[in-house]
Amino acid sequence: MIDNTLAIKILDMLNSGGASFSEIYIQKRISNSVRLEDSKIENSNSGFDFGCGLRVWKGESTFYGYVDSIEEDRLLEAANVLSAAGKSSGTGKILDLNDSLMPAKSSYNTKIIKYPGKMTADSKKDILLNTNRICREYNKKIIQATAAISDLEEEIYTANSYGDRSSQKIVKVFLSVNAIAKKGSEIRTGYKSLAKTAGYEIFDGGDAADIAEEASRIAITMLDAVDAPVGALPVVIGPGFGGVIFHEACGHGLEADAVLKDASVFKEKIGKKIASDIVTAIDDSTMAHHWGSYKFDGEGIPSKRTTLIKDGILVNFIHDLRSSNKSKKEPTGNGRRQSYRHVPIPRMSNTYIAAGSSKKEDIVASVKKGIYAKEFAGGQVDPATGDFVFGISEGYLIENGKMGPPIKGATLIGNGPDILNKVEAIADDIDFAPGFCGKQGQSMANEVGQPTIKISEITVGGTGA
Amino acid sequence: MNNSSIDLKRKKLLEVCKKAAVRIPGSGADQWEIFAASGIENDIEVFNGKIETLAFSDSAGLGIRIFKNHSIGYAYTAVLEDNAIDDAIGKAIANSHITKKDPLNFLPTEKDYKYKVNKADSGKLFNDDFLKYTIDQKIAMALELESLTRKADKRITGISDAMYNDGISEVCMLNSNGFEGNYNSATAMVYISAISRRGEDISTGDYFGIARDPAKLDLKEIAENAAKRSVSILGGKKISSARMDIILDPMVAAQFMGVIASVLNADSVQKGKSLLKDKIGEKIFEIDIDIYDDGTLKEGLASKPFDGEGVIKGKTAIFKEGILKTFLYDVYTARKDGTLSTGNASRASYRSTPSVGVSNFYISPGIHDRLDMIKQVDKGFYIMDIIGLGSGTNPISGQMSVGAKGIMIEKGKLTHPVKEVTIATDILKFLSGFRKIGNDLKFVPSGGYMGSPSILIENIAISGK
Repeated sequence: MIDNTLAIKILDMLNSGGASFSEIYIQKRISNSVRLEDSKIENSNSGFDFGCGLRVWKGESTFYGYVDSIEEDRLLEAANVLSAAGKSSGTGKILDLNDSLMPAKSSYNTKIIKYPGKMTADSKKDILLNTNRICREYNKKIIQATAAISDLEEEIYTANSYGDRSSQKIVKVFLSVNAIAKKGSEIRTGYKSLAKTAGYEIFDGGDAADIAEEASRIAITMLDAVDAPVGALPVVIGPGFGGVIFHEACGHGLEADAVLKDASVFKEKIGKKIASDIVTAIDDSTMAHHWGSYKFDGEGIPSKRTTLIKDGILVNFIHDLRSSNKSKKEPTGNGRRQSYRHVPIPRMSNTYIAAGSSKKEDIVASVKKGIYAKEFAGGQVDPATGDFVFGISEGYLIENGKMGPPIKGATLIGNGPDILNKVEAIADDIDFAPGFCGKQGQSMANEVGQPTIKISEITVGGTGA
Repeated sequence: MNNSSIDLKRKKLLEVCKKAAVRIPGSGADQWEIFAASGIENDIEVFNGKIETLAFSDSAGLGIRIFKNHSIGYAYTAVLEDNAIDDAIGKAIANSHITKKDPLNFLPTEKDYKYKVNKADSGKLFNDDFLKYTIDQKIAMALELESLTRKADKRITGISDAMYNDGISEVCMLNSNGFEGNYNSATAMVYISAISRRGEDISTGDYFGIARDPAKLDLKEIAENAAKRSVSILGGKKISSARMDIILDPMVAAQFMGVIASVLNADSVQKGKSLLKDKIGEKIFEIDIDIYDDGTLKEGLASKPFDGEGVIKGKTAIFKEGILKTFLYDVYTARKDGTLSTGNASRASYRSTPSVGVSNFYISPGIHDRLDMIKQVDKGFYIMDIIGLGSGTNPISGQMSVGAKGIMIEKGKLTHPVKEVTIATDILKFLSGFRKIGNDLKFVPSGGYMGSPSILIENIAISGK
């Protein structure tokens, strides 16, 4: 996106103030979003972002600046301002202008069939109208449906003073469906999403129809929900989006920036047992077309599969370049950023609990009185303490080993390290689900995953007895 | 940057808008609106007495909303060159081809305004003193805040976040009805999160300060509050599930204002997604409570002369003596209800279309002293922190279940810290359960600028052991 000579000129200018590392990140992003509500297209928006973020390290400090442009003059001016920031730490490597930057290699190579830029607005409208029709035909009690598609096409370039460069194209498409059901004065909602690092070919099969039906089924099911129980109970967590609990309650504490700040409960736990023997957890940004996948992370490091927990033992943290440098570990390819306006930080990609050997039916049958939490509205964690909460959007009572009625208004509250040791069983039915994760004001595409698992005890917060 | 260069920038943004405007005629648009924004920002994070990250930016962009055959299309660009603007115009037109056609879709005129005279004091939005602060002074503030917090209590063992950030921004709007407006604003914010430990117990507490002028940030008070919030819940234990009265600390109560705001949004009401539909004139609170949205509030961080569609802002009484008086309107929803826009079209940035949102949204303070309120509770829970509000609250169904930390109240006295419990109710019961309003109004930036005093609420289900 910029030529080799200019890249080296900028890197050398950044380094001239005595930096130990300098970096260029260029992003061109074309995005569209279309939203349906009330059976009509409410809005259709398009965006264009094109700019460059520049970064230097001096001693312990990171200095960052960006411009909404890639014009040579503006890049050099920004580089000049940044090179003067902070105190010289005098260790920078100055590149020779005749050198060429080495292109980074990644084994992540996927094919995009239907690029968003080639899709007409009408074809997106048709997908949404069809989704809406499926929801409304599912049951007369569905009184409202919202469906939205967003897509993006990005070109990303990085170059750094190690002499590496990377370039990649990213295509992502996201469909979300929210169905609202009403019976008497009771209103319930159901939500499902379909999202891939791929083009509009994701709509070629029946997946969009499936999620529209699922969202509708959840809303209708929840109309008959009873008050959720209160107190500490055994909890069976469903496959797919259930993995959000691991993501929030444990994953964030494994991100190395929190560890380095002594703000993680997992500090100094590498090599130690932190979970039941049956727990193995993985972060894998190489899974083809998954929502959290990429060719290179936001720092030009190739995507990678990293085992975080192996048979209950903590083996790795999630690193960006900075944290791997500080803790003298190999980067794990998890330095991600929302855009050229943002500093990269350690982030999960596709993070999941690996499949076990139990069967879901046996797990449910083993619970005398507890709940089955199938879908979640999301959650929040304090990484320093590991304390978390999750809102259950679809859940059921389990009574004497059998699934009971759906429950409403329930949350799970607990502590990450505590529940890792309370994982009693893991089934073989692994599944994945896409979402967005917010951290330090940056929103990233993340995928979570897990099979059905059983936790011996979590506090359930409801309004019932 | 000095005053004259700010003036120069302002002229430039207006020029960019005008240059873009002349490119629209001939594109097929019946009416158009251009919303441009620029910002100069500093983000400083410190850790252990050193700069962790220093990021600065100077950026601008614009969004174009076009009306064609009573359909709306939108596109934005962060690149302000002619070809990028032409591209955005073309995309906005294409987007209008699929969006709903509605005779109410046309640009605002003064006939739509509820408030005819601008009472916002633009002089308050931007203070020249702001420009006197150097980057070194701002870094020093972040470092001092970190140091003061570490020293505030010997149980503080770490700081997970210590930051200063500020921004000077300008908004400029033009439309084909002849509207032309612009304003500058500035905000400075500091935030600190303190970790305290005692044996195995660990706790975090955070606090912030936000002002139009860095000089108004009282670092000592902020440090002491963060430390107090961290150590006062250190060693918290689960309590047995029970129903009891709760007192929400103002920081916590202000976060709940976002939930109240979501059911007052006329767009949600018109689409059947609000519990307050058809309840205008009804007494929702049992006590005489007043709630306002005031876009002109003197020290309000959400004050501005006009909203995201150019409509004058004002002070709207939403609840008066506990009775629901009105919803919050933008121009479209007001026309639909045959009323006037309350100036509540909000816009997160030039990247998004206007939609209904709050400005300075607050509960008018009551007469009660917080300590007196505590004294009058026989058995209750004083809540100092909540977690999972977003995922635990469904504004459509009304269910609420949120994680909470705080201190137990027994016979009018604060006794022992409590953690890992949830409070659960539904929104209407929650509101009608308000019993006493404190005299300690506090604002929190969360969506809009949300303000609440402490609140005593009756008979809430707490789930613990």
